Amino acid sequence: MPPKKSPTNAEKSGYQVVYQKKKLSDEKKEKILNRLQDLLGEKNVSDKEIDKISYSRDYWPIALRWTLEGKVAASPDFIVWPENTEQVSFILQIANEYDIPVTPFGEGSGVLGGAVPVQGGIVVDMKKMSAIVAINDKNLTVTVQPGMNGMNLERTLNHKGYTLGHIPQSLYCSTVGGWLACRAAGQFSTKYGKIDDIVISLEAVLPKGEVIHSTSVPKSSTGPMIDRLLLGAEGVLGIITQCTLKIWPYPEKRVFQSYVYNELENGLESIRTILKKGIYPAVVRLYDRTETSRHFYQTKKAKNRCMLILVMEGCEELVDVEEKVSQTVCTRTGGISCGEEPVHHWVETRFNVKETSEFVPKDVIFDTIEVSVMWDNSSKLYTTMISSMKSIEGVIMASAHASHFYPQGVCFYFTFAGTPVDTTPDEFYTSVWDAAMKSCIDAGGSISHHHGIGLMRASWLPKELGESFNILKRIKKDLDPKNIMNPGKMGL
Amino acid sequence: MMDTMRKYLWILKAISKLKLSTQKDVITRFLTAEKKYLPDKKTKADVSDILRCALCPNMCRFDCPVLDAVKSETFSPSGKTRIAYALEMDRFLSDDAVALMYVCAGCDACKQWCPFNFSVEELLIGVRKDISDKGMVPPSLVHFVENLKKNHTVYEGGNTSLGLSEEGELQKDVLYFAGCTTLNRMKKVAQATIKILEKAGIDYTVLPEEWCCGAPLSLLGFDSDFKKFAEHNVKAFREYKTLICSCPTCVHMFKEVYPKMGFPLKVEVLHTSQFFLQLAKEGKIKLGECNKEYVYHDPCALSRKLNITKEPRELLESIPGLTLKEVQLNQKETRCCGMGGMLGFTNPEIASAITKKRSEELRGVSDSIVTACPVCEFALKRANTGEILDISELILKVLK
Repeated sequence: MPPKKSPTNAEKSGYQVVYQKKKLSDEKKEKILNRLQDLLGEKNVSDKEIDKISYSRDYWPIALRWTLEGKVAASPDFIVWPENTEQVSFILQIANEYDIPVTPFGEGSGVLGGAVPVQGGIVVDMKKMSAIVAINDKNLTVTVQPGMNGMNLERTLNHKGYTLGHIPQSLYCSTVGGWLACRAAGQFSTKYGKIDDIVISLEAVLPKGEVIHSTSVPKSSTGPMIDRLLLGAEGVLGIITQCTLKIWPYPEKRVFQSYVYNELENGLESIRTILKKGIYPAVVRLYDRTETSRHFYQTKKAKNRCMLILVMEGCEELVDVEEKVSQTVCTRTGGISCGEEPVHHWVETRFNVKETSEFVPKDVIFDTIEVSVMWDNSSKLYTTMISSMKSIEGVIMASAHASHFYPQGVCFYFTFAGTPVDTTPDEFYTSVWDAAMKSCIDAGGSISHHHGIGLMRASWLPKELGESFNILKRIKKDLDPKNIMNPGKMGL
Repeated sequence: MMDTMRKYLWILKAISKLKLSTQKDVITRFLTAEKKYLPDKKTKADVSDILRCALCPNMCRFDCPVLDAVKSETFSPSGKTRIAYALEMDRFLSDDAVALMYVCAGCDACKQWCPFNFSVEELLIGVRKDISDKGMVPPSLVHFVENLKKNHTVYEGGNTSLGLSEEGELQKDVLYFAGCTTLNRMKKVAQATIKILEKAGIDYTVLPEEWCCGAPLSLLGFDSDFKKFAEHNVKAFREYKTLICSCPTCVHMFKEVYPKMGFPLKVEVLHTSQFFLQLAKEGKIKLGECNKEYVYHDPCALSRKLNITKEPRELLESIPGLTLKEVQLNQKETRCCGMGGMLGFTNPEIASAITKKRSEELRGVSDSIVTACPVCEFALKRANTGEILDISELILKVLK
């Protein structure tokens, strides 16, 4: 949550810094700078004001608003670009020695403030570790460094006849390391899984500089999976420096289908039935009435209805079966076919991230909240979360689509927009989030399906994890006694 | 109009459910809020568009050659427009911020992925104009512009003509315009072009003195100086029917930028690859065998800015025996050679890193590279020693 303290002026610029940090003495700053430059070379270390501004935030919407108001979220002391695992390890050792915070940074597409250096210190930009180390055609794996951009990985794999199957909306502007650190999901996750299903093994540097590796094997039975601690840890337990991921042959065939339903419930039932039969379309997206009118206004049959789009892909013979089964199930459960056109429209516009740029300068507060829930609570969760957000004065609209599906349940992706009434934008924003989080937990859901925790959900994580949050704190204390790794995130 | 109404019907529906007083407040804010986030004074930069770009999660970043070379958020497309916004709002003024406004390859890779169809180069040109008006242009660029104005070529003390005796004959239909880099660094491209024209029996001429197309002045934000060059060139070209250029940037300037800036040309402007294809189709040139494989590098200005990707390929594929190979990033998804947007002059280290990467990509496909731009050829030749040809040089090689 944003701090209540009023911002003060930052050095050398007209910007105000929202999150205040402990000021380093000039002497200490000089020493750290020299150590970092000795380690990484001058070109890989910056303490320039221009870079401090650039690394002051990620894509947390509240921090974007601050940009307009002449504020920066935070101000790091140094930005560094390691080129190998050994350098990452030494950076963390230096940070421990000088008791200075470290914030890992990929491409800053996170929407919860996870990469905002709230306590200053060193931002470790991983983009110079962005190589594809190996593609193994026999094992169907790719070994890649964490700074690799999603689209550049996917288009290289496509060129070689493969797909990663992990296509988040942030594909163009996010990194492999960021995906792992947030346990991300892509638009094709119903077939290929989330990134935590796709990862086989990883290498990481723990907060005190120790390097851990896990072995690439399909499955094992060698005690608790320690490497998995790093997944979803958002940099608080270390920095991932390499990973091996599953890949799939590039689909031979792709089939598009769309249906509209009079009720959201009927659409959910269609999907549940398809999955129960063992059919996993790659893309399954079901939009409520509001979002259907927003995205599919050109489809006449969609008026006042809920749109379902399906993409089946893979081996031709299997896709043919999936196509047939899905068609039968959807029409039997009340779906009215709208053909391929709505899916083509989705494919063409799925990376058009325009809303923030269009609405934020118009003082519209806008954000998305993704949660997951089992089937038996799904309708209740949808209804209560929508009504709780709408209950906040100033909310103009709250809507959702379901975007990732499992035989046991579903992820709902909510969008809200509004303008504050008799309150500040930050307070308005926080009150909508709080209402959404509370109703999600009350309805038996998980507060995040794939965006993670960062700053915005930090106060809600203990409520979801219960005693497990204390275990997490104990693990953190043991691995990172000085709390140098991404402090302030996830409530740690 | 109806389509726009339908598109935003969901907003209108949502607003209609609010209390009347809230409705009024929401609509007023929606219509007026942005003004307070824009500069009070008039700017040449479109700060509203810059803000839109600055608020984007950097959806084009993966294709930006500058970011790929530097790996710093500051140099990312939205990173630059965030600093541009700060500059325009007078919130952050520093030499670093001013210098950053010139670090763009001008390759328009960003534009093809942008939901707003923005070219970051075009956004930055507006900022550069404001920098110029404020007298904050880096001294090295001021020096460069002064020399360009004096010499009429981007190369200090460089050539402005091919030195042919019959040049500048007004009665000819076809004018060949070589361009600054062809005249000064890639003369072989001009020589090949002339030989091909002669072999085809084309009644052509060249100018006694070529003035730069003005691209550097336009993109550095020196509008009034650019206009002088444009006026000169419009006058110099007025008697000709067809203007053929070796340099895709010159073609882009004459065909697209000149008319936009108020200098329409009557002459038909063609790139050499287009003209040679016409000659081949008309049977005016005959191409002999070439049993070799080449990888074709699409110049950004030709493929992305002018949409010319098929003609060079068709021409190359018409050479008997030649195997045309494709690199992963080709046609509109090509990658800059490093020399676009004056980057070779403003930021040679970044330019070299981009060139090295592109060169390695091309070399990974074939040892022999063919392109259709003297600037790309010049850049790639500096990065490696293998065979690198302009399309005119390759055509000359196989000309019967």
